Amino acid sequence: MADPPAPTTGTRTQPLPDEAAVIARASGGDRMAFTQLMEHYQSACYGLAWRLLGDADQAADATQDAFIHAYRAMASYRGGIFRSWLLRITANASYDILRRQQRRPTSPLPDPEEGSPELPDLAAVNPVAEATRSEMYRHLERALARLPEDQRTAIVLCDVYGMDYNEVAAMTQSALGTVKSRIHRGRLRLRELLAEHRELFTR
Amino acid sequence: MLNPNHPDPERLSALASGDTDATADAALSDHVSTCEHCTALVEELGALRMSLADLPDLRPHRPLRLLPEVVEEPSRVDRLGGWARRIFAPVLTAGAALAMVGLIGTTVPALDNLGVGAGAEDAATEEGEVAATEEGEVAPDRAAPRADESGGAEPGALNYGGGAAAPTEAVMPLQSGRDLDGVTTGQLGDDADGERLSVETAAERSPWPMVLFTGVALMVAAALLRWILAPRSS
Repeated sequence: MADPPAPTTGTRTQPLPDEAAVIARASGGDRMAFTQLMEHYQSACYGLAWRLLGDADQAADATQDAFIHAYRAMASYRGGIFRSWLLRITANASYDILRRQQRRPTSPLPDPEEGSPELPDLAAVNPVAEATRSEMYRHLERALARLPEDQRTAIVLCDVYGMDYNEVAAMTQSALGTVKSRIHRGRLRLRELLAEHRELFTR
Repeated sequence: MLNPNHPDPERLSALASGDTDATADAALSDHVSTCEHCTALVEELGALRMSLADLPDLRPHRPLRLLPEVVEEPSRVDRLGGWARRIFAPVLTAGAALAMVGLIGTTVPALDNLGVGAGAEDAATEEGEVAATEEGEVAPDRAAPRADESGGAEPGALNYGGGAAAPTEAVMPLQSGRDLDGVTTGQLGDDADGERLSVETAAERSPWPMVLFTGVALMVAAALLRWILAPRSS
């Protein structure tokens, strides 16, 4: 986690205004349209890969792997939310890298204390509010990085990226009950890790 | 769980994420609705979920290639196609030359055999006797009269040997009838057999058929390679 990724100015990438038309052109083999889509969503994909892998270079590799898979699968894309479709591909590409490394599922990311991400400040519309948000994100990322890998993967896929339990179970090749348990234990562990900054998370 | 009266915190997390098995659990809901500690925990876990769902996208630390290897694959095929185009003409020429040499080498002895078979009826009888002598090792009682009747035994048959020829004739009684129809018919049939046999024997002792085959194979391979690797507009 030596290389700190920069958050985008917004929170999450929103769909392109003419996304359906761009997707249709990309599905028909238009490379410019495909490039436009990948350029638009690269921060979303990279963010997911980075949170799963905890390494900037590996996250970039996983994102590019995902683009290749997406390019090959583009012709068979059958609607739905494009961002979710692309994120599922990215999660699979990232998980493939995790599997290749044969990381122990319970190991946290390397150097969670020293190497935790130092997120630059967001482009501030309201400087105070943005500074608070930026602070909250920083603590959250650091706490996520300290979770055991199986819990972090489940939390990232489910809570951060909104996948349902069944999707996470299929992706991680785990039983549904195991996934639920990892998520709930992971949340409770996160809460402990963030105990000093509880005020940031009360709403 | 510090207080045995409180439900398992994982159940409270399930309630915070609205899992149906937790929301449908009346005992759990009843407890939370009356327990300040558990209510606070459920709210805190819910807030944590929302914060996680708000985490921003992250900019890559380095520019990503948006069409990385997908673009390179066709170019690799193009390179192979160019390579195929470059070697196509030399390989085709070499194949054609080999085929020509092989063809000449193969057909010239065959023409000689034809000449012998058509022009030397008398000589064929003598040669037939020689063949019969050899066939005699396998079928002495049938080979001798048949050789006299047919008069079509060839030098090729000599080389082929009686071992294979004798059983063929033995199981084909029509052979003698055809031979009796006339000299021309008999000669044509025997000539065809003789040519086939001479080619077979030539294959055993001469390289020409192999040269011909290699030449043709080279030409076909060059054409196939070029066709397979030719760039196509999709």
